[in-house]
Amino acid sequence: MSDTATAAVRLQGIVKRFPGVVANHDVEVTVRPGTVHALVGENGAGKSTLMKILYGVQKPDEGSIEIDGQTVVLATPADAIARGIGMVFQHFQLADNLSVLENVVLGAEKRHGIGDAARREIHRISAEYGFDLDPDELVETLGVGARQRVEILKVLYRGARIIILDEPTAVLVPQEVEALFANLRELKREGHTLIFISHKLDEVLAIADEITVLRRGATVATVRPADVTSHDLAELMVGSELPSPSTEESTVTDRVVLEVRDLRVEDKVGRALLSDVTLRIRAGEVVGIAGVEGNGQTELVEAVVGIRRPSTGTVQMLDADVTAWGTRRRRAAGVGYIPEDRQRHGLLLDAPLWENRVLGHQTRAPSMHGYWIDRHGAVADSKRIVAEYDVRTPGVNTTARALSGGNQQKFIVGREMSGDPVLLVASHPTRGVDVGAQAAIWDQIREARRRGLAVLLVSADLDELIGLSDSIRVILRGRLVGTFDPHTVTPQELGSAKTGAGDEAVVDEATVRR
Amino acid sequence: MLQRVVRQRTRVASGIAVAALILAGCAGNDEGSSSTDDICESADGDGPKIGLAFDVGGIGDQSFNDSAYAGLEQVVTDLDGSCTDVEAADGEDDAAREERLRQLADADHTIIIAVGFIYGAAVYNVAPDYPDINFGIIDGAPPEGVDLLTNVANIGFAANQGSFLVGAAAALTTQSDNVGFVGGLNIPLIQDFEMGFEAGVKEINPDIEIQSEYLSQDDAAEGFESPTNGETAATGMFDNGADVVFHAAGKSGLGVFDAAVAAGEGMWAIGVDSDQYLTASAEQKPHILTSMLKRVDTGVIEYVTGVADAVEAGGEAPNGFVTYDLSSDGVGYATSGDFLSQEIIDQLEDLKQQIIDGEIKVPTAF
Amino acid sequence: MNLLPRVGVGLAAPLLAIVVAGLVTSLVLIGVGDSVAEFWGVMFTVPSARLTVGIVNGASILYLSGLAAAVAFRMNLFNIGVEGQYRVATFAAAYFAGQALLPGYLNTVVTICVAMVVGAAWAGIAAILRVTRGVSEVISTIMLNAIAGGLVAYLLRELGDQQGQIRRTTTIPESSWVGGIPLIPGESSRVYGLAVLAVVAGIAFAVILNRTRFGFDLRATGRSETAAVASGVNVKRMVVSAMLLSGAVAGLIGMLDLFGNSHAYGSTIQVGVGFTGIAVALLGRNNPVGIALGALVFAFLSAQSNALGIEAGISPEIVAVTQGVIVLSVVIAYEVVRRYQVRIEQRDVARALERDRAREAGALS
Repeated sequence: MSDTATAAVRLQGIVKRFPGVVANHDVEVTVRPGTVHALVGENGAGKSTLMKILYGVQKPDEGSIEIDGQTVVLATPADAIARGIGMVFQHFQLADNLSVLENVVLGAEKRHGIGDAARREIHRISAEYGFDLDPDELVETLGVGARQRVEILKVLYRGARIIILDEPTAVLVPQEVEALFANLRELKREGHTLIFISHKLDEVLAIADEITVLRRGATVATVRPADVTSHDLAELMVGSELPSPSTEESTVTDRVVLEVRDLRVEDKVGRALLSDVTLRIRAGEVVGIAGVEGNGQTELVEAVVGIRRPSTGTVQMLDADVTAWGTRRRRAAGVGYIPEDRQRHGLLLDAPLWENRVLGHQTRAPSMHGYWIDRHGAVADSKRIVAEYDVRTPGVNTTARALSGGNQQKFIVGREMSGDPVLLVASHPTRGVDVGAQAAIWDQIREARRRGLAVLLVSADLDELIGLSDSIRVILRGRLVGTFDPHTVTPQELGSAKTGAGDEAVVDEATVRR
Repeated sequence: MLQRVVRQRTRVASGIAVAALILAGCAGNDEGSSSTDDICESADGDGPKIGLAFDVGGIGDQSFNDSAYAGLEQVVTDLDGSCTDVEAADGEDDAAREERLRQLADADHTIIIAVGFIYGAAVYNVAPDYPDINFGIIDGAPPEGVDLLTNVANIGFAANQGSFLVGAAAALTTQSDNVGFVGGLNIPLIQDFEMGFEAGVKEINPDIEIQSEYLSQDDAAEGFESPTNGETAATGMFDNGADVVFHAAGKSGLGVFDAAVAAGEGMWAIGVDSDQYLTASAEQKPHILTSMLKRVDTGVIEYVTGVADAVEAGGEAPNGFVTYDLSSDGVGYATSGDFLSQEIIDQLEDLKQQIIDGEIKVPTAF
Repeated sequence: MNLLPRVGVGLAAPLLAIVVAGLVTSLVLIGVGDSVAEFWGVMFTVPSARLTVGIVNGASILYLSGLAAAVAFRMNLFNIGVEGQYRVATFAAAYFAGQALLPGYLNTVVTICVAMVVGAAWAGIAAILRVTRGVSEVISTIMLNAIAGGLVAYLLRELGDQQGQIRRTTTIPESSWVGGIPLIPGESSRVYGLAVLAVVAGIAFAVILNRTRFGFDLRATGRSETAAVASGVNVKRMVVSAMLLSGAVAGLIGMLDLFGNSHAYGSTIQVGVGFTGIAVALLGRNNPVGIALGALVFAFLSAQSNALGIEAGISPEIVAVTQGVIVLSVVIAYEVVRRYQVRIEQRDVARALERDRAREAGALS
């Protein structure tokens, strides 16, 4: 960084302590204007804290912040916004029942009012950066990618020139990621400075001009993408050797655990969300489901677990026809379920861990004793999970909410592996989980598979699908359209199969349909 | 950030809510008993020490409770006594009423007057424990299966007689030959008003149509505490052609007056219990034809004086059923506002005399 | 290790709320010109033995009402209809018991069951509307309260007897009355015999909620409906069960007075107790012990308020302000404390992580 141009953002010697923990120390980041600067690191490395400091949500205990060469004090987000800093949060902060226009002007009514002037401004920004947003559309009708564009539009509308994007790709499918990157390049071309937080290294390498790596709260290196590989970056992040999913020899037996036949699931008005789905999983087999999100994966998983009733077709587990069974009965019969959205479907966030151990196991030992909750059993088994799955928590009386996402997920996986399940239904088991935890979860799934577990694996991570599955089925518009052998298939092949041979129109339709 | 904004708004909103509560508390208190001119705060004579337990509504109902208070004020001054008045809470149970009476008794009151029939069970529970204290219940009666007590007086009023006279006044005033009656609760006590009113109307002209409605079957708050209910009922009657509406509905009757105001000139309301012309607002006054006076104040004065005399003379205090009627001026009608012509007044006085003489028998609900 | 301070902050919330309520009440008194000293003097008088019994009786009734609301609250169901359920159930029970179809205490026991069934059935209407037609239970229970008032009044007119100014159901035969429990030696007023129901209901509530599968399902549904569904809870069934249970408890509210004091349903029945119960449940954080404390605080304030008019000449209505502000500030205080606890916990987690890292670093070197 020998250039003499004034840095858009310069963070020097930032230290932020929370009671009992140092979240950031020795942080040195320099962001040149008009570039995409990536900030990478494992979950808990201090990325979010650092960005909250830059956005005025938190104040650093030591160190200085310079914006365009001027030292500033950012006490509130309003200060940051006034300095031209905007933040796009990972979890969208949009009101579903309001229109795009209303969401954008909310809290910024003074800029262009709330009427036609604001509408014109939104049209202008949308056209300038290719956002393709209609100000009067309701947010609830928008797909994930479009919602994210609304978030970006919000910060641009407020006059931001330095935009922080917190894990913007976490919620996107690959095609949407591409679209996002195109938008970001457009923004860069217009002279905006982008700070891009991620732990997806291939994406970082694709979009960033410079990359700063954070590890345990400190910046450890700033590199250019041309000089490093994703493997190098990963090692910088974890500071040690890396795991990766790898296939092993087959453990597939001939005992059929799950047999889904001619399954059809409809929405409230009778449109098919799933049709003609036939699927068979044997003991010791992992069947991966690949597809663009919103093509029926959720419905398939819910139909197998018993949350959703099929309109036709059957679900058979071992020798029993379980089509008419409720979720509880299926789970009692040995179905483990790692839901797609762990916070909403997998945990009671305000309950202690040991109570979360009971969740989904309300009919089974060791957390229950007949009709009664076995508190001691649940506590003891929670401790076992915490130890075996390396869940970082002070104890099992800690509420689930206090844990980081990765540790929450490890706990869920541990719980769902308990009680010798015969079938594991896993949706995105490692999404949002850091590298170390990811490896642990993969090991556990492989281990269970060796013992004869049948696994239905839905994932957006192609490496994960290829690394763990014995066979991969592609789902498109509610139908299973292809079967691939993970030993021979490439991510590119899978990618085009998911989208119906790369047909853009199909993708759009699938996305819109959500 | 959005969350933050919302949170701040929540905080502001709760602040406003608290402020509103405080204001509501102030407003509620203004009409409460703590107004500084309460006779009980200044009177400290050596005469009888009187405890008065109000019915729901308390001072400020411009009707029943106010009338009782007026009597209290008068008698405390006359006899140079002292007093305490206490309000009731909405929806309380017998235990709470009983407790109120016991506290008054424990505070060495010598005469305790409970305003309202609702105190019946409570007084009969408490009185045996305080044989030296005299209890009076306005409109009272012993609960079923309970015997009368020598230290309890059930103070009643011949409401049917007074209502008869205002019924006659209504009949003599109506242009549309259509009058109305709004009752608070559908109970004998109020039915007595209705029956007297109806008889009075028919006495003058049997062809007059009478519309009648009760605001509630069993909920005292809905019946006696809701001007909105009163206004709704009376508005319906005016719309149906009535031009005089008589109410026996406590505070709800204030809504009847409003309905008369809204109905326009020439539309009349008749007040109840106290002379409501005197307490009505300026815009209501031109519509208050008369009021059926149920002289709760007379009842209080007569009863307290009776007890005081008995104590002095060593005789027996009034007990059992004590009824005040036209002959003892326990009921009557008001002429404030001068809306009743001398001609009408003469007719009413004639009817009054006939009732006192027993020539006219007014039907009663008892 | 960190249990003690946590209990401490847990208690801090309601105490803080009561202090705030005291301040606000004092401000109102000052604003109006009443004596603050006299007010608190009266309120903090040690209650007489008789009044203590009254407080216990009042608290027992409020406790049942609070429990009824809490059962539903725990599942995020807002049963605003406790009042209506209580009135319908109490009327039905009083009418049934008055018919004296059964002898002695058998009549009492069966009547209590009748009250629970009727209360549950009345709440069940709202539950059915919610699970079949998606009608918010808040709206339906409010409407059902109005209907309950009208229905009971109508039935009282049709089936009741006129006794003096009051219309009431036939008096229950004396053999079915439940005598009082002498609480304080030498005091003639007694605690309702059926106050035992409150104790039993409280224990049952605690046990069912914290120890059984049903209770776990109920709490899980309240905390996260989506997670409960994924865990195999049939949410519709839980909605119906919780509402029925809530209504059944609401049915018990009127039994204490019915068998212990009034022996009939009449127009002098206590009204509004179902709404006060909601406030008590809020105050007690839907926790069986908390609700008991909340009920005692409310009953204490109400009981002491009677003396205000007599001894201090202050309108007892002011106490309603105190009670209202307590509820309001307790909601705010709990939220503040909850956030504080989350912060403490996240710090604990961070510390544990830091320790682990330090250990790992130590092991590496």
